[in-house]
Amino acid sequence: MSLKNHPHTEQAIFDDQEGAESILDKTWLSPPGFLGWFTHVNQRQIGFRFVVTSLIFFALGGLLALLMRLQLVQPENTLMGAEFYHQIMTMHGTTMMFFFAVPAMEGLGIYLVPLMIGTRDMSFPRLNAFGYYVYLLAGITLYLALFLGMAPNTGWFSYVPLAGIDYSPGQGVSFWTTMITFIEISALTAAVELIVTILKQRAPGMTLNRMPIFVWSILVMSFMIVFAMPTVMVGSVLLALDRTFATQFFVASGGGDPLLWQHLFWFFGHPEVYIIVVPALGIVSTVISTFCQREVFGYTAVVLSMVTIGFVSFGLWVHHMFTTGLPHLGLSFFTAASAMIAIPSGVQIFCWIATLWGSKIQFKTPMLFIMGFFAVFVIGGLTGVMAASIPFDMQAHDSYFVVAHLHYVLIGGAVLPFFAGLYYWYPKMTGAMLSERLGRWSFWLIFVGLNLTFFPMHQLGLDGMPRRVYTYLHNMGWEEINFFVTCAAFLMAFGFLLTFINTLISPYKSRAAGSNPWHADTLEWWAQSPPRNYNFRHLPVISSRTPLWQKAPLYKVTGIRADRREIIITTLLDAKPQGVCIMPSPTYWPFVLALTVGFGFLGFMFKPILFVVGFFLSFFAIVGWLWPARPWLAEKPPEDGHPVRGLQ
Amino acid sequence: MSRNQQTANADIDVSNFSRHLNGQNAPIWWGIIGLILIELSVVSAFTVTYLYLYMQHPQWPPNDIAPPPLFIPTWSTILMLLSCVTMYLAGKSVEKNKSKGFVVYTFASVIMALLVLWIRWQQFDNFDMRWDQHVYGSLLWTISGFHFIHIVSAAIGTAAIGLFGMVGFYTKQRQIGVVVDTMYWNFVAFAWLPFYLVLYYFPRL
Ligand code: HEM
Ligand SMILES: [Cu+2]
Repeated sequence: MSLKNHPHTEQAIFDDQEGAESILDKTWLSPPGFLGWFTHVNQRQIGFRFVVTSLIFFALGGLLALLMRLQLVQPENTLMGAEFYHQIMTMHGTTMMFFFAVPAMEGLGIYLVPLMIGTRDMSFPRLNAFGYYVYLLAGITLYLALFLGMAPNTGWFSYVPLAGIDYSPGQGVSFWTTMITFIEISALTAAVELIVTILKQRAPGMTLNRMPIFVWSILVMSFMIVFAMPTVMVGSVLLALDRTFATQFFVASGGGDPLLWQHLFWFFGHPEVYIIVVPALGIVSTVISTFCQREVFGYTAVVLSMVTIGFVSFGLWVHHMFTTGLPHLGLSFFTAASAMIAIPSGVQIFCWIATLWGSKIQFKTPMLFIMGFFAVFVIGGLTGVMAASIPFDMQAHDSYFVVAHLHYVLIGGAVLPFFAGLYYWYPKMTGAMLSERLGRWSFWLIFVGLNLTFFPMHQLGLDGMPRRVYTYLHNMGWEEINFFVTCAAFLMAFGFLLTFINTLISPYKSRAAGSNPWHADTLEWWAQSPPRNYNFRHLPVISSRTPLWQKAPLYKVTGIRADRREIIITTLLDAKPQGVCIMPSPTYWPFVLALTVGFGFLGFMFKPILFVVGFFLSFFAIVGWLWPARPWLAEKPPEDGHPVRGLQ
Repeated sequence: MSRNQQTANADIDVSNFSRHLNGQNAPIWWGIIGLILIELSVVSAFTVTYLYLYMQHPQWPPNDIAPPPLFIPTWSTILMLLSCVTMYLAGKSVEKNKSKGFVVYTFASVIMALLVLWIRWQQFDNFDMRWDQHVYGSLLWTISGFHFIHIVSAAIGTAAIGLFGMVGFYTKQRQIGVVVDTMYWNFVAFAWLPFYLVLYYFPRL
């Protein structure tokens, strides 16, 4: 395999030579055909798969939401029982948080970051592929469990003791713990790769303070994932041990502590919200800058506030636990910390307003979604401030007020910006524009629909309707609102459907995008649409924050071989070229490893010893994956001058 | 033009740049740092969990159980740290292109790790409390087991590195595999220290 991709030529061929293009094509080829699909490692393929798969999960999660709303359309409805309701509620929350939002943002990052920083792939292409397969396997397994009626039913935060073996016997919660661990592996691999790619592969000259804001946001997100996700992994492993081996971590009678679960979960769970929101903020800055045709005002302030949000969000988890009877001093601290997050968020908003101020804004569809983001996210933030005040939280906790708040934050803070990004980058990914007319219809239906769905829920909550109930009694005064909310939910769903239809038909109907349809400034628009497998014909040398808006032409890197997967490594802060790295070629091993790891984790649920089998099988896969590829690079440069040119 | 609007004024030729990245310029070096950061988060989550539960209990360990004996685990800790030295020497051999020394030192490290594993296995037998009796036992077993698995991984990984070395893959220029394997090895060895502290000293306080 490696031989095919590193042709053994007498004379090395460089990407600045004539005819190098077709050789680059061959070198970076992702093998065609169904079986070839499992060998792909290029960032473009993997990123695209992440995005598409996450959208499919978004659709599935949305269907489950509609089912819930159907059940709640009238009091004492008998469409489904409590058990099924709780399964789809848990699956909805779990899907949206773990299987849609995080992979969607990471997928965008994987696709775009190498393009935006001017390199040809991610640092660890095979790991990238592995992360995707792990994600896919986890998702498929969880939905199989749902079809078998074995899905988890304890809510997306699986509180103990409810999630313990006594109250949740059977495999439901076991599926949850296993698949959560599994999906975090995927999130963590992607995070590490994004960090290394961003720090070490930026085009020469792209110092940290010339890096696109979106790339900054992905960097902050990745660091947050690295520090937050391991806690939920530890938590779910301990829960799995409690359930399988009767350890006592969360069992009060055995000296354990159920609150420990809440700490472990929310130490992850709160940053999780910002893990989703921070890249969304990056999208907002990017789209605003393009549709105002000017740099975002206050680059440094925007970047620093993203970093601050990342930090502060780790100090807030206890505000999810105000009603658990923790000491008062602690509670006040966490209230203050929760309010503090408003400061960096405010800075961002002011910078955006300053950017928009006095510029000629083009209200294309992506910009509409950004405007929707402003409105919805601000309302979510305000109700957040309400919930961060303890006396109010004591009243509103676990009522529909919280359901309303969390959807305003998540849809406003993640879904709308993500869709803005989708409309914005779709032309780059597919080479076709999305239909503006469908896009506008879609936006307005979503925007109106979501406000009509979730705003009344605040009232339901204040009227006392608890969350996570599968039905409610007549004469509570909740009937009209619930009926109305369900209808509105279908309206919103129709809006989302329009975008899906748009993405499916546009490649056949709409005009070709060209390489830079929005006249944007960042490097991804320098590549062809869709980009070739090698991203750029020449790797660029960067000398400003807005390389495509500068008048001078871009300089380029020469001396990169075209007949081998080569990329440049640069220094961490100021991106000075340091060396050339040879990237691995397509292979089945990541797929095989995902299967063996999956075997170990799933096997554990049924027979713990199978975990050990999976563990050792995985080592075979890892060794195969890392097997040094021959021919090995020659070490000594020939005597006659050109040390590397002409070798091999 | 502001400072970040300056334009570079030439193409950059990298044909003479090294294709052998062996230290901090190699992406994999940073990748392993990332892995270590992740595992550090895991190690701290375990340690904090231990301390949190420890603080909930006036009596620790419960029911007049004796804390696990100190002597043998202390020796296995020292052995574990010593194996970092042989790993270091293995790296030195690669730098001097001495592949025989490399293979010897790598397998010496692996054997030391196996010894540590054997000692730990004996200790499992000697724990005074099962994992399902009390959360104290759960912690003892889980944390020890977690670290046990890590030594197994490091040993298998290093054995594979040793095998690649026997084929003659590693040389002065091509040593990044050894470098990162050693980094991970050291991490596994040092990650034991906080665990050693909480598992063996806190019950004695
Ligand atoms: C597309 C429209 C959506 C509708 C109609 C919807 C509706 C609902 C409903 C009815 C519940 C159950 C409330 C309860 O019984 O307590 C719920 C819970 C939840 N939703 Fe959504 N939702 C939507 C989108 C989203 C999105 C985009 C996210 C996240 C990115 C999300 C995250 C959650 C979470 C985390 C829960 C809590 C689940 C739990 O309590 O375990 N939802 N949603
Ligand atoms: Cu929170």
